[in-house]
Amino acid sequence: MSDIFPRWTNKLPAQLLAGAILTGTAVSAAVWYYFTPKYTRVGYQPVQPVGFSHAIHVDQVGLDCRYCHNGVEKSWYSNVPSSGTCMNCHNAVLATDPKLELVRDSYATGKPIPWVQIHRTPDYVYFNHAVHVNRGVSCVHCHGSINKMDEVQHAKPLSMGFCLDCHRNPADFLRDPKQVYNLDWQPENPQAHKDAMLQAVHDWKVASSQNCSACHR
Amino acid sequence: MKTIPPSCPEPENGVRYWRGLDDLAGTPEFKEFLEREFPAGASEFTDPTSRRNFVKLMGASMALAGFGLTGCRRPEAKIQPFDRQPEGYVHGVAQHFATAFPTRSGAIPLVARQHDGRPVKVEGNDRHPDSASGTDPYTQATILDLYDPDRARRFAKAGNTVSREAAFDFLADLAKQSATAQGKGLAILAGTSTSPSRARLQAVLATKLPQARWFTHESVDFDIHRRGASLATGKAVAPRYRLENARVIVSLDCDFLGTEEESARYNRGYAKGRKVASANDSMNRLYVAEAVLSVTGSNADHRLRIPASQVLPLAAALAAEILPAGPARDACAGVPKPAGVDPKWISECAADLVAHKGRAAVLAGYSQPLAVHALAQALNGALEGFGKTVELHDEAGSAGAGLAELAAALNGGQVETLVILEGNPVYDAPVDLNWAVTQRKAKTVVRLGYHEDETSAKSDWLLPAAHYLESWGDARTSDGTLVPVQPLIEPLFGGLTAIEVLARIAGEPQVKPYDIVRTTFAGIAKSAVEDVWERFLYEGFLGDSAGRPVAATVDGAAVAKAVQAAPRVPAPSKDSLEVAFRRDSKVDDGRYANNGWLQEMPEPLTKIVWDNAALISRKTATDLGLINGEYVTLQAGGRTLRAPVWITPGTADNTLVLSLGYGRLLPGKVACFDGKNPVGFDAGAIRTAAAPWIVAGVKVAGSRAVHQFATTQSHWAMSGRPIVREANLGQFQKDPKFAKNFDLESHSSHIPMGTNGLPAQLYHTAYTERPETQKSAINQWGMSIDLSACTGCGACVIACQSENNVPIVGKDQVIRGREMHWLRIDRYFTGYKAGQRNKLVADEDQWKETWIDDPQVVNQPMMCQHCEKAPCESVCPVNATVHDEEGLNIMAYNRCVGTRYCSNNCAWKVRRFNFFDYNKRPNNLGDSSQGMSGELYKGPFARRNAADLELVRMAKNPEVTVRMRGVMEKCTFCTQRIESAKIARKVKAGASGDVQVTDADGLRTACQQACPAEAIVFGNQLDPAARVNQAKANPRDYTVLGFLDTQPRLTYLAKVRNPNPKMPDHREVPLSIEEYKQMYHGDPFAPHGAGHGAASEAGAGHGAAPAAGHETAPAAKGGAH
Repeated sequence: MSDIFPRWTNKLPAQLLAGAILTGTAVSAAVWYYFTPKYTRVGYQPVQPVGFSHAIHVDQVGLDCRYCHNGVEKSWYSNVPSSGTCMNCHNAVLATDPKLELVRDSYATGKPIPWVQIHRTPDYVYFNHAVHVNRGVSCVHCHGSINKMDEVQHAKPLSMGFCLDCHRNPADFLRDPKQVYNLDWQPENPQAHKDAMLQAVHDWKVASSQNCSACHR
Repeated sequence: MKTIPPSCPEPENGVRYWRGLDDLAGTPEFKEFLEREFPAGASEFTDPTSRRNFVKLMGASMALAGFGLTGCRRPEAKIQPFDRQPEGYVHGVAQHFATAFPTRSGAIPLVARQHDGRPVKVEGNDRHPDSASGTDPYTQATILDLYDPDRARRFAKAGNTVSREAAFDFLADLAKQSATAQGKGLAILAGTSTSPSRARLQAVLATKLPQARWFTHESVDFDIHRRGASLATGKAVAPRYRLENARVIVSLDCDFLGTEEESARYNRGYAKGRKVASANDSMNRLYVAEAVLSVTGSNADHRLRIPASQVLPLAAALAAEILPAGPARDACAGVPKPAGVDPKWISECAADLVAHKGRAAVLAGYSQPLAVHALAQALNGALEGFGKTVELHDEAGSAGAGLAELAAALNGGQVETLVILEGNPVYDAPVDLNWAVTQRKAKTVVRLGYHEDETSAKSDWLLPAAHYLESWGDARTSDGTLVPVQPLIEPLFGGLTAIEVLARIAGEPQVKPYDIVRTTFAGIAKSAVEDVWERFLYEGFLGDSAGRPVAATVDGAAVAKAVQAAPRVPAPSKDSLEVAFRRDSKVDDGRYANNGWLQEMPEPLTKIVWDNAALISRKTATDLGLINGEYVTLQAGGRTLRAPVWITPGTADNTLVLSLGYGRLLPGKVACFDGKNPVGFDAGAIRTAAAPWIVAGVKVAGSRAVHQFATTQSHWAMSGRPIVREANLGQFQKDPKFAKNFDLESHSSHIPMGTNGLPAQLYHTAYTERPETQKSAINQWGMSIDLSACTGCGACVIACQSENNVPIVGKDQVIRGREMHWLRIDRYFTGYKAGQRNKLVADEDQWKETWIDDPQVVNQPMMCQHCEKAPCESVCPVNATVHDEEGLNIMAYNRCVGTRYCSNNCAWKVRRFNFFDYNKRPNNLGDSSQGMSGELYKGPFARRNAADLELVRMAKNPEVTVRMRGVMEKCTFCTQRIESAKIARKVKAGASGDVQVTDADGLRTACQQACPAEAIVFGNQLDPAARVNQAKANPRDYTVLGFLDTQPRLTYLAKVRNPNPKMPDHREVPLSIEEYKQMYHGDPFAPHGAGHGAASEAGAGHGAAPAAGHETAPAAKGGAH
């Protein structure tokens, strides 16, 4: 009886299996790395309709975060300021500068400025700003050094793992609530600060829940 | 390879959004710059030949852009802030405004909650002096009406849409014409209202247009209470019951806990007399006489099942025993005794009333004739109840002439312009007035309506009405306190309020409702100070504006005359049946027919949804040869009506009871999806002006056709299982902990006992694994429901639906058992007939059992028990349901894959699964005939109208996820409210440890807040002062299905009945106990020793009793069977 199949097909099953395993591993690895928020979100820096620079306004001018994001201490939502807030200064400062044309238009006509949202958690996540900023979690831990950014970029992954890193270990991320909006603040003595915060977790009864009900309803 | 960024979504017209000076300059360099997302040049692929280059560049692209495609990133979202921030507005924080829901005879004071400028929930107003902070199901559901896609949105003339200005011009013309004609030919038809603004405008109209006529029509007329009290006392007064002061309450067909207005306040007052905590506490006692089981009847200690027509003879018989000698008493003695009623029932009831003089109340229902109301008030007077259990308040009544007079005027051609404000006369007018034709006899009909309904179809001008949550207005609650109706949102579709229309017709200069209300307020408050007005709006009532109760005496002669003038309706018989109508507990008189929540709310006693039925008793059905669900033709007075019957326990013989409000073809897609097959049948087809509530001489003929009903609970009996535990007051006083005697674990030696006297742990809890880290030391949530206080009204069900975005599923899905209510009220009929042992009959055959003729009823709100050792948590393959450190059993919807194993394992069956996407798919809700061809089954190929979806979405609470298909959901103890309370505490605490949530923070679950009887108590069990701890310390506390040892956080307080030992229908123990004794061969009230049930084990140590001894005991009893 003659050979129906050529010799090289003898190796085919082994090659297919090896290929499948390699492909599977490669795809898994690719998804593992490229499809996580750490890769897809970090670095997202969309172009905004108005070239607002935090570096100028916070670092240079010295505005407090809450001047614009005034709802952050009361609400789950940290609001982007209305055009009126901008015009508080910019009706006098750079009053005719073309860079601010859109802001003046918005204030005059009522049409909102369409800021591109950068930090966004999925619909099934209910995050609350007020409870974090009032209890000693600074903006810098989740938003990075925004005060140094010319254009805001997504600095941290804001994945569930990222949130749990702090919720499992709150002492590492807490500070005196008075320093929350001082993004450049560093503890003078890191070890002493760490100890103080461990004590604070106990004294303030920080119960950063790791249970689903903390964020998912 | 060049990447092309997506085209800019901004419109080309309008303001040009530019990104930099270069763009503004429009330089070619910039244009090229713009086209590349990453101008570093890495995405250029200039050399097409080398594959190596290709790979290099792809790698670089990946590194910079994520495969060089922008599509992998989530879609771009915009944040669009205000141009000017409204003062005090913080996005994300709910705002609360006081308002009121105006009802026919008063108002319900409310606090409405709004998110982002739209109202999503209404609650009772705690600050109102009435402090009936609960609400009823109707009120809770009104929020859905606001976002009803079928509501009237346009101004129309002869069916064609016109502009708002055109309509206003028409009204102005009408005002001018009427002014010149002094109002001749103008007729206004309105409902009843307590609004002082409307009364003021009515008076203005009467002065400016003296020849204009005002007519009042209400399909369900609650004004009869006022007329009865006025007749009986000879003064213009209305009765206001203070049931919390009553020890004996007699209801003459008065469903004051259900379908009477003010039921929330009555529930509260009544429940105050039902809660007992120790053997020294006393209870009130309720006697009810009615034709069909109602919420009130289901709570009665003694219930008399009589046809509605026999309530007058019953009232006369009671009065004959109680009233002092005089004309009234003589007139009552002349009334024949009610047929089929044991005279001892009447005499003992009368004796009980007299024994509690000054603490007794007699109420008459809206469906009873005036004579019964007069007698009720006469009895209240004789029992010295005025000023104590019944307050009489001055009320002249706004009722003018009625619909019959208007029909006469129309038929006589006297009406040029008919203005109809609210109401729906074409649908609910008495059938003999032939209103659809009669209305058209007016030259012009102007209709202010919330829907384009039956009446709108016969009108010329259509004005869309504004919902009360969009309106400025005012009203008075039953004690006379002035309350504001404050809008939470601008009228969504430019709707008008009744006072605005009246003001325009009167040619008043002030036509804006806000101005009208302020003017009226200035007159009442006698103050133009802004602060007073603002305080009024803030608190939701005007302090010290309540009326003082007036003293009155009974006018015996007037009562005698009323009794003698009352028509004598003969008792019904098999050949001459009686039909009684009633206000439906869900759709009212039809106004809520398009409200999906109310249609799907199970009727409290029959648990029927999406339908009404002709309720009939078992005996009558058997006599007439009918089976359950059979279509019958009713013949009354020459008119016929085809309706399906439903055999329901506790119905009077030879009577059919029909609910109004169904069979509507027009209001919208919920009430009638296709315009041909409405939900239910229209009972009004045999309702005449002469007999609007009781029709005698009805003939019934069966057919071979059977109607398919959808019920949420088809099983009627508890079959002896101690799910709802109850006792008579005597048993409670002897053994306050009687509820524990039913615990199976106290009977069975199979469950090992621990050293602390409680069952040893059979399963591990979430906490036993790592107890120190798992259980929070700050908050532990628990809930207690008092079954003695719960009347089964159902307000909690709708409140939960409103708060938690629970969808409705439609009749077809309910038939398959897929209703989505997180909280349901289980209603059991308990009964026992010696010799009828077999309780385990199929649901379809229950109606044949004789014990259902005179059952008792128990209600039990059932929701997730939040078991510490939850059977559902351990079986979820993806860990979507877990236990949190504060005791809640939580659902993470995003993790759920829809295995439904958790629901399978739940012994209480409180988990609901989204079999379809009930929110996005169109659903022919009221029709069960669609079956497999229904829209739901089409999945993503069937979508609801986008405009409708837009509107319906606004009703959703943004704090709670809206669930999609494939996800399990269940009661979460309002975790969103818990989190809000915890967050509020932590925000306030800041850098301190004062984070425990206590009762003082005002945290209440939605059901707790809605319950008028305060039966539901929720709170932090770690707070020693919390009310929930007091409730759980009540000796009546027990766990449902406690033998499963799952340790639920939700426990119940057993029900206590208070029957009168002298009454002929007195039972030594509640009927459910007789069932229990039969099934379990043990008397829970016998001396228990160490907790065993069987008397033969008395004294034996608990674990030591041999199992064999326990099992042979029933055989040894022999003759007990």
